[in-house]
Amino acid sequence: MELPSDPADLQLLLHALVDGELDAATTLALERRLADDPSLAAEHARIAALQAAVRSLPRPELSDAFQARIVALGIGPREAPPARPRFSSSLWRAMAASILVTAVLASGLTQWTMTRNTPDSFAAAVASSHRRSLLATSPVDVASSDRHTVKPWLDARIGLSPAAPDLAKDGFALLGGRVEVIADKPIPALVYKHREHLITLVATPQDGGTASKPTVAERSAGGFSLVRWTDGAFAYWAISDTDRATLEDFVSRFREAAAAG
Amino acid sequence: MPGEADDVAVLTGKVSAERFSEVVLPHLSDALALARWLTGNADDAEDVVQEACLKAHKGLATYAGGNARAWLLTIVRNASYAWLARNHPRRIVAVGDLADLDAFAAKADTDAGTPEAALIAKADAAALESAITRLPHPFREVLVLRDVNGLGYREIAAMLHVPLGTVMSRLSRARGLLMAELGGTR
Repeated sequence: MELPSDPADLQLLLHALVDGELDAATTLALERRLADDPSLAAEHARIAALQAAVRSLPRPELSDAFQARIVALGIGPREAPPARPRFSSSLWRAMAASILVTAVLASGLTQWTMTRNTPDSFAAAVASSHRRSLLATSPVDVASSDRHTVKPWLDARIGLSPAAPDLAKDGFALLGGRVEVIADKPIPALVYKHREHLITLVATPQDGGTASKPTVAERSAGGFSLVRWTDGAFAYWAISDTDRATLEDFVSRFREAAAAG
Repeated sequence: MPGEADDVAVLTGKVSAERFSEVVLPHLSDALALARWLTGNADDAEDVVQEACLKAHKGLATYAGGNARAWLLTIVRNASYAWLARNHPRRIVAVGDLADLDAFAAKADTDAGTPEAALIAKADAAALESAITRLPHPFREVLVLRDVNGLGYREIAAMLHVPLGTVMSRLSRARGLLMAELGGTR
């Protein structure tokens, strides 16, 4: 493999080497040249150091408020914010900031983790199943506010069912249930409605010994609020496009009702 | 401008909402990063990306599959320049100047005064950011698409409608300018 003799062309190849754009033969030839040419090797090290420095610069923060705005664009014009040029950008920023501040205050400064930073594919699967259900004709496979209907239906289908209290008096009406398939396992999901928002509650059976300690973790996935906790035999995931405070309210009421039997 | 485009959006709403979330949402972070570097600040970047996502939503039907990230970033790039043209027209390098810039780029890479790799590695992030922001747009966009967004040379060439060699020489020039800047501040 002949390397170019022109220094400018050689320079371009050095960048291409750092960028992983060279074929194996050219890479080999260039690496041999680098071993013999200290000034070329120094330039190669500079390029690599600069690339590492640029890559490690902080990225702009992808705030939940901003993500929610973009998700709303996708859901449709009725729920989307009004066409934005009519608003000054500072007003938008103020609105986004106030939403964020409210949400952070309401959640007691809980940590917000984005799925793109965590390899938590289960959370992503829960988010996408919730998103699909919002688009489907019906979010439930069995529609009933009666747990004596929902529980046997789930039991008959997949042999397990979580507590399914109707929380209508608390403002969270049980719409029904459906079966999700996540990681090749059928998993029961309950659907509650709060005002115009749906809350999907996914329950996965726990392994025997580790089930006792109730823990609550909060995060967001795919632009939705997500709360995860463990109670007794099930690990629960509650996901919704409603605000976090409402979702947390739902979770605490659900846990109370479930514990009361 | 809303009106008839919105009617189309209503008709195709259910289909496009799902596609939108698959095609656009995973690349929001990259979109925001590109807009941040092209507009020069993070606050404006959100406005630009929102505008771009609105365009992406309306144009979903024209997205033929393939590289969703490059497709979205192309829209973000155009939205960034449109935003700059409206708000800071003097910050954009006119197309006519490009030939001069490329000619300039070819001969200006001298090693004299470039710092050692170790010095670059511990360069102050703020100094590096300001050096990137001072790069002329044709160089800055190639650098950001490559090193921040992680696109390959061919993807960048296709996106900017320039030959592969132009991508390579602009990238080399952009990095050369940054190195000289970082060396000069020490």
